[in-house]
Amino acid sequence: MIEIKNVSLWYDKSHQVLDDISETIESGQTVVICGPSGSGKSSLLRCINGLERFQKGEIIVNGVSVFHPDTDIHKLRSNIGMVFQHFELYPHMTAMDNITLAPLRVRKKSQKEAERRAMEILERVGIPEQAVKYPAELSGGQKQRVAIARALAMEPQIMLFDEPTSALDPEMIKEVLDVMIDLAGEGMTMIVVTHEMGFARKVAHEIVFMDKGRIVEKGTGHDFFNHPQNERTRHFLSRILI
Amino acid sequence: MDMDVITRNLHFMLGGLVLTFELAIITLSGGFLVGLILAMGRLSSRPWLYYPATCYVHFFRGLPLILVIFWLYFLSPVLTGRSLEAFYAAIIAFVVFEGAYFAEIIRAGIQSIPRGQAKAAYSTGLTPFQCMRHVILPQALRNMIPALVTQAVIIFQDTSVAYVIGLREFLRRVNLVDAREARSVELYLFAGLVYFTFCSTGSLLSQRLENRRQRNWV
Repeated sequence: MIEIKNVSLWYDKSHQVLDDISETIESGQTVVICGPSGSGKSSLLRCINGLERFQKGEIIVNGVSVFHPDTDIHKLRSNIGMVFQHFELYPHMTAMDNITLAPLRVRKKSQKEAERRAMEILERVGIPEQAVKYPAELSGGQKQRVAIARALAMEPQIMLFDEPTSALDPEMIKEVLDVMIDLAGEGMTMIVVTHEMGFARKVAHEIVFMDKGRIVEKGTGHDFFNHPQNERTRHFLSRILI
Repeated sequence: MDMDVITRNLHFMLGGLVLTFELAIITLSGGFLVGLILAMGRLSSRPWLYYPATCYVHFFRGLPLILVIFWLYFLSPVLTGRSLEAFYAAIIAFVVFEGAYFAEIIRAGIQSIPRGQAKAAYSTGLTPFQCMRHVILPQALRNMIPALVTQAVIIFQDTSVAYVIGLREFLRRVNLVDAREARSVELYLFAGLVYFTFCSTGSLLSQRLENRRQRNWV
C-alpha cells in the first residue's frame, strides 16, 4: 500500500511542482495518472521511490516512510520497479546484463540464478531471443520490454511507469501495453503515468487527473470517462479523446 | 651530418627511455586515481567535498609543472627536515599536478552521461557507488578516451621536465651526449624523432580503440 500525505514539492524554492497531494493506493491496484504536461505527474512518481526529494508531507510505502532518517532508501527502491519514458537501458550492457545487474549487486544472487530468472522474465515479456543483444540493436518496443524485465527482475511489490509508451512508434505501443495489462491482471500494484486511455479504461481501478501540481479529479474508469465532474477534466478529455 | 654520433651513443640514450616510461606510467596511473577522487569531489553536492576538490584543481591548473617540481624538491627538505630523492620528488609532483587535469577530464566524462542512467540505476536499488562503478564510469570512460590519450601523450612529453632536478631520463641523456660530443643538430633531431614515434603510435592506437567502440554500442 502506498500512502501519499499532503506532499508538496518545489524546484528552486519559487516554482511549485506539487501542491498538497494526497492519495492512497491499495495493494494490487492499478492507478493511472493523466494530465497535461507540466502538471507534476512524473515528479509525483519520482517522489514515491525517493528519486525526487519533496519538501513537505510524507509518503509511506508498505509501512516505510520514504525520507525518514531511519529508512534504507536503497532497500526501499529495490522493492519498487520503475520504467522510464526513454527506457534508460544501460547501453554498454546486453539485455541480459541490464536485467541481471541489480539482482547480482543488490540481491547478491549467483550469476547462474540471476540469468535463469532473467530468461524467465524475458520469456514472459516475449523476447527471450533478444537476451544477447545490446540496446542499440533493439526496437523501441523491445527496449521498453527489456526495461520492464529489468524492473521485474528485482521482484518488486510495486511498479511505477512514467509515460512508458510516449516515446514509441504507434505499432510498438501494443506490445508494451500487453505486458502491462498482464502485470495488472496478476495483481501487481501499479502506478502508471500515461495518456493511453484505452489502457486506463481496461485496467485502472482508479484514474487520477492532475493539473498544475494538484489532483483535480479522481474516480473509477467508468465515472471518470462518462461523468467527469470538473470543467478542466472535461476539457482535457475532449482534447485527447477524439 | 654525422649520424655516427647517434649509433655510438644509442644504447646510453635509449637507456633513458626506461626512466621516461617509468615516470610516464606511474604518473598516468597515479594521476588518474587522484583525478578520479577529485572528480568525485567536484561532482559532490556536499560543500566539504566540493570546495577542497575545486580549489585543488584550480590551484594546480594555475601553476607551471616545472614550478611544482621545484617546490617539492627544494621545499620538502625545509618542511620535513629530510631531503626527497629526485625520483620521488618528480613522481609526486607529476601525480599531484596531472591529477588536477585528469580530474577535469573525468568530471566532464561523467557529466556527459545522461542523468536518466543514474536514475534508472538508483530505481533498482543500486547505491551511488555501485551506480558509478557499473553504470556511469564504464560509459564515461569510453567518452573520455580521446581526452585521456591526449593527456597521456602530454605526460609522456612532460616527463622530460624532470631533468631540472637531475633525473637522467631520455632527454637528459641526449643532452649529456651533446655536452660531450657537441653534435646538437643530429642529437636533438634524433630526440624529436623518438618522441614523435612514441606519441603518434599512442594516438593511432587510441583511434583504433575509438573505432572499435563505435561498432558495439552507440
